Amino acid sequence: MNAKTQNNVLVTVDGTKVDAAPGELLIHVAARAGADVPTLCHDPRLDPMGSCRMCLVEISGQRRLQPACAWRVTDGMEVTTESGRIERHRQTLLSMYMADHAIDEETKLPKQRGVGNELLDLVLKHGTGPELHHIGTPREGREDNNPYIHFDPEACIACARCVRYCDEVEAVSAITLAGRGAKTTIATADQIGLLDSTCEMCGGCIDTCPTGAMTEKPSLNAPEPEKIVRSTCNFCGVGCQLDLHVKDDEVVRITSPEPGTTLNDGNLCIKGRFSYEFIHHEDRLTTPMIRRDGVLEPASWDEAIEYAAKGLMGVRDRHGADALGFVSSSRCTGEENYLVQKLSRAAFGTNNCHQCAAT
Amino acid sequence: MEKTGAQRSRVLELLEHYGGLKPGVAEQISRETGVPAADVYGVATFYTLVSRPDAGVRVCQGLTCKMKGSDDLVAELEAREVKHEQVSCLGQCDRAPAAIDEKLFPLSITPPGDLTPDNTELPMNLAGKDSSEYAALAKFHEVGAEAVLDAIDSSGLQGRGGAGFPAAFKWRAVRNQPSGPRYVVVNADESEPGTFKDRMVMERRPHLMLEGMAIAAKVAGADVAYIYVRGEYQEAKRSMERALEEAGEALSSWLDVRIVEGHGAYICGEETALLEALEGRRGMPRLKPPYPTEQGLFGKPTLMNNVETLACVPSIVLRGGEWFKAQGRTEAGSKLFSISGHVARPGVYELPLGVTLDELVEAAGGYIGTPIAFSPGGASAGFLPMSFRETPLDFKSLQAAGSMMGSSGLVVLNDTIPMTKAALWGLIFFEDESCGQCTPCRVGCKVQRHALERFIGGDKDALSHAGDVAWEMEEGSICGLGQVASWPLTTAMKHFPKDFGG
Repeated sequence: MNAKTQNNVLVTVDGTKVDAAPGELLIHVAARAGADVPTLCHDPRLDPMGSCRMCLVEISGQRRLQPACAWRVTDGMEVTTESGRIERHRQTLLSMYMADHAIDEETKLPKQRGVGNELLDLVLKHGTGPELHHIGTPREGREDNNPYIHFDPEACIACARCVRYCDEVEAVSAITLAGRGAKTTIATADQIGLLDSTCEMCGGCIDTCPTGAMTEKPSLNAPEPEKIVRSTCNFCGVGCQLDLHVKDDEVVRITSPEPGTTLNDGNLCIKGRFSYEFIHHEDRLTTPMIRRDGVLEPASWDEAIEYAAKGLMGVRDRHGADALGFVSSSRCTGEENYLVQKLSRAAFGTNNCHQCAAT
Repeated sequence: MEKTGAQRSRVLELLEHYGGLKPGVAEQISRETGVPAADVYGVATFYTLVSRPDAGVRVCQGLTCKMKGSDDLVAELEAREVKHEQVSCLGQCDRAPAAIDEKLFPLSITPPGDLTPDNTELPMNLAGKDSSEYAALAKFHEVGAEAVLDAIDSSGLQGRGGAGFPAAFKWRAVRNQPSGPRYVVVNADESEPGTFKDRMVMERRPHLMLEGMAIAAKVAGADVAYIYVRGEYQEAKRSMERALEEAGEALSSWLDVRIVEGHGAYICGEETALLEALEGRRGMPRLKPPYPTEQGLFGKPTLMNNVETLACVPSIVLRGGEWFKAQGRTEAGSKLFSISGHVARPGVYELPLGVTLDELVEAAGGYIGTPIAFSPGGASAGFLPMSFRETPLDFKSLQAAGSMMGSSGLVVLNDTIPMTKAALWGLIFFEDESCGQCTPCRVGCKVQRHALERFIGGDKDALSHAGDVAWEMEEGSICGLGQVASWPLTTAMKHFPKDFGG
């Protein structure tokens, strides 16, 4: 039997008894028990790191507070996620985060960036402890003229979610934790620009970053969206789900839906995440065009299809069906590819059909 | 992600080979090992000896060296326009103020410290003659592992690295692991400010330590042993290499001993950070459990002991656990105390566990000036006032006093040293050496240091949150470094309230 589905240990979280698989991570078990354990460095797609220390809870038999994100449950374990000690810990820790984070001068709170700052959310929810002087650590950033990924070291909490994502999910390893102590930052090898590194510009670092230290460069000054529209990426046949952030009928940012909710599991590639300028581009074709006497002229779909069909049939009539060839785009779905080969074989009578991603 | 079969554990030795982190080196090592270049870069920037290959003269800014005029040395180097950098404790507190040159050779003109005079009745007897006869190892073959384990158990030997964990417990834990490869790792990464006893063991009695290591390997069932010695201890490393040569087949026939140099990171004295370093990663401590006895080096059961712990083993095996135990007063065995600062003859003294500071200082030739405080076990132990001069120096008593035995690197301070300054030097050390993995330590060390600097600068309220921050560092940090990193400040505030505006 698969151990992951074998519910055979009993864990008590804040008095509530929950079934769990042996060795399951406490953070998931606690969530099933209805406990709201705050996290920053946790991403279910990644191996636990336990470094942000937000999720520390009390566990029976443990003198020290322990990280729920990394602790594996055992039978009979008793867990407390709310207590005076934990509350003091969370608030003091948040004070320390504030002392090392870019602060908005007006609100005196962590700056809002990108699609949100989980640190700000936690500060608003849990409050902070002592008001500490800002330590103002200058952290090393880098000159980087890549068009898509912006890194602001002053908003980084060194949780390494971006580094771990790049390594564990994408297997690209373009970035690393560098330096140590308060100067710990995110770097590339020799601090080269991302374009010169192994980076594939998937932007997964942005997706996983809890504070917006990694953000979409084209959306740095993007306005708040009016609505978010779920759509399907049409750059290839995978069918990744996209969330289009729309303001005044313009797409101002694209994000992936939450990990675990759609087939792309929170991931996107460079095209899905960043290639949307064409939507509002002035050169974009919005109607079919027919070239007559060397000049492209707008046409209706019926006109255009008829024109193309005539041309193709003309070739067939003059030179035979095998003078034609059909190549479908890798952006087509399986169904569309099926239709293209049917058009090729049944309508025109040639086996010269190909799909551009087939080789 | 590294390639299958990547040779990650070669990364640090290659960084040394290419002269440290220079442009292009990360790429080169990536090609040679299959570890991603960014990853190599991240590893390199963690270790000071490879991240700053052109640092020039490295001047110690440990507590003792600061007290003994390292600032003057820095001023002199500046005046002579000699390239230099201030670094964390170099483990030469007996020769303070200490410095090393680019090739890591000691530059100090102060003669080396003293030792307890030769006395064959001492378990370690650093001044005695080192012997490559390996009589204890021979006895192991006679009596077997269980008898040796019983002797270690009855000796009451507690780990000498700082935690004081019963050695027999660890040894049994590894021995009892299911069959399969396992390792012995000697923690020779001595870096706690004020501590230089392990260096003395390695320089004076390398065979004693190697013999203890060999017996540990036999008991654990390991045929590979690593000695992780800090890079600044070049003489100790050479001494062990010579000893290994002398030992010849007695060891090499069955035990693959690998001496690995550290690369400049105090945190690698933390056992799981040390394992990360050996595996070629950034020396960031692992979450525990699992403990190294179950999943240590390369995920295999690993027995890790401090140099001094292992140096105690031959005498226990030869003369019995009860004999060793009787060498202590309040706790089992004798102990190597490094002592420096305001005492006449700094050095390493082997005395019973439970001696008092006064007795130890008497062995070291007496106090210089009027003592006001002492640091009982390195920076991690904070400070105690002289009212504790009669407190037994042992693990339990010092813990009860709100301090710790730690690595028993004692530093005595007289009334020429302001306690605020002494506390600040401790905080600077921890800030420089924090690995940066967990937030309480990464941010807390700097918050505390800034607060104390503001206080020294005249802001009387600057330390009002120091207690809260220290509390969180102790509650929230992953490893011992962060948990005690405020102690130089909080213990000084507690015992010397007047110096802190109280």
